[in-house]
Amino acid sequence: MSRKRHRLVPETFGLKRRRELGDVEADPLRCESGSAREAVAEIVRLFPRVLFEDALPPIALRSQVYSLVPDRTVADRQLKALQEQGEIRIVQLGFDLDAQGIMFTEDYRTRVLKACDGRPYAAAVQKFLASVLPACGDLSFQQDQMTQTFGFRDPEITQLVKAGVLTVRDAGSWWLAVPGAGRFIKYFVKGRQAVLSMVRKAKYRELLLSELLGRRAPASVRLGLAYHVHDLIGAQLVDCVSTTSGTLLRLPET
Amino acid sequence: MLGFLSARQAGLEDPLRLRRAESTRRVLGLELNKDRDVERIHCSGVNTLDIEPVEGRYMLSGGSDGVIVLYDLENSSRQPYYTCKAVCSVGRSHPDVHKYSVETVQWYPHDTGMFTSSSFDKTLKVWDTNTLQIADVFNFEETVYSHHMSPVATKHCLVAVGTRGPKVQLCDLKSGSCSHILQGHRQEILAVSWSPRYEYILATASADSRAKLWDVRRASGCLITLDQHNGKKSQAAESANTAHNGKVNGLCFTSDGLHLLTVGTDNRMRLWNSSNGENTLVNYGKVYNDSRKGLKFTVSSGCSSEFVFVPYGSTIAVYTIYSGEQITMLKGHYKTVDCCVFQSNFQELYSGSRDCNILAWVPSLCESVPDADDEVNIIHTTFLVMFSA
Repeated sequence: MSRKRHRLVPETFGLKRRRELGDVEADPLRCESGSAREAVAEIVRLFPRVLFEDALPPIALRSQVYSLVPDRTVADRQLKALQEQGEIRIVQLGFDLDAQGIMFTEDYRTRVLKACDGRPYAAAVQKFLASVLPACGDLSFQQDQMTQTFGFRDPEITQLVKAGVLTVRDAGSWWLAVPGAGRFIKYFVKGRQAVLSMVRKAKYRELLLSELLGRRAPASVRLGLAYHVHDLIGAQLVDCVSTTSGTLLRLPET
Repeated sequence: MLGFLSARQAGLEDPLRLRRAESTRRVLGLELNKDRDVERIHCSGVNTLDIEPVEGRYMLSGGSDGVIVLYDLENSSRQPYYTCKAVCSVGRSHPDVHKYSVETVQWYPHDTGMFTSSSFDKTLKVWDTNTLQIADVFNFEETVYSHHMSPVATKHCLVAVGTRGPKVQLCDLKSGSCSHILQGHRQEILAVSWSPRYEYILATASADSRAKLWDVRRASGCLITLDQHNGKKSQAAESANTAHNGKVNGLCFTSDGLHLLTVGTDNRMRLWNSSNGENTLVNYGKVYNDSRKGLKFTVSSGCSSEFVFVPYGSTIAVYTIYSGEQITMLKGHYKTVDCCVFQSNFQELYSGSRDCNILAWVPSLCESVPDADDEVNIIHTTFLVMFSA
């Protein structure tokens, strides 16, 4: 049973401390404790732009933000505030209903404009970026919203879907999407499985974080080991145990 | 603690503050205790537990073999070591015992003279406690997953029943038949719960990923379908609103009825504002859930920051409700935990699991020193008497 009493519950309510916990030494990946925006900026720095020839905006995942900001509810609230201010866009990545991608709005806008340059749907995309994006910060759009509030006709919506800016969710509703994100999702899913299998194959199914980062990345991991480790920790696909030799990643029993 | 006592004595602080502080301290110290035991009667998994709301003394348990047992939780012996004995039970030899697994038992909310039980044998049975005979039986066409009777209702005696069909049935105890049906879900109803604040508000959770709030007086459909993304409210989007990305397994209102907790097979637990159906976006992390039927979890009441106790595999995870922080995992069962109930008078937790055991988690505050055994026990029991008054 865990005997640690967290300091967030005030001292009056806590039991007398049996022993003081020593300082956990700073690990290479775990020292961030600031805001969600700094966390997103940090992950964006880890994103390999060269791999996609700068055609994709740098995408961070929500689980990676949870790994850097320790309190999840606070992270959620800060991300929501950033979304409402229009600084970041959140998109639904298709492979998992839980995995949401976060990117800065400016990056998204420049990359989408560059991608649709000179194509037949350029006009519809530009109209979308100019009118809908600043007005509506949601992940999805409804039929009546698009036709009545923003004045899009059906052929224009079809062009947006062809351009990759919208993905079909249901009859009459669409998710916001990133054009060209298919390659990223493929590398991400393969890389996540590869890093998880590295932990699974280890003796006792646990690995020290420093050892994992020091190993050579297998060929299927194209986005970088640090990128994937943040995602695994935040999505709670591995348990993080703090030991005297650093952080240990262990596969959960359930 | 002494500071709280002297402040209360001098009138500087409200008496309620001391009570809440001490309750919270006790809940934070929950653990298995060698001095407290529950007699083992069940020969198969314990599916459901319920403690009567009047005195908090008697507990009902329902098992996978159809057996229902009634326990007395009160320690009337002067010894610290106590086993909660079974007062009586509806065993396999009883003529009216359920044929298959008992899924939910509930005491009649106003006194202990009656209790209801529902089971996979498509019946809801109403029992008289003193004679242990059936007073009434309701038959359904599908297996019954869950039922609940409103704890605050004075104007109606409706029992909400969730079955494998998509319709929620409301059975009236006074007339003995189903009074009406709530339509709106598309798959089986895994959990139902009445609001502890308003006697006509009902929440239901279904395998089609939706959780709905109903006012049973309204004929035209549900009040709100909970939407996890808090999207814009529009008629077209109502059908796409989902509370979870998988089946919604369990429902629990907080003790004041202002918030609703739901758990789903997408390994998430969500907290909703029960008046407008808004997702408060409190993030509890991964709450592992692979139960194919309902998951019965519970909340504390009377503490300053309320806690929720959720069965998590073979352990019980304890979180603070409004901040989402995980306090601890209570380890003790050998197999999957199915249900847990909280006794708010003594801040004790009872949990039942598939290993046929019911465990009692008792606050451990002062460790009794071997020499000074008697003194410490006297002080302990005096405190308990003071605060439960």
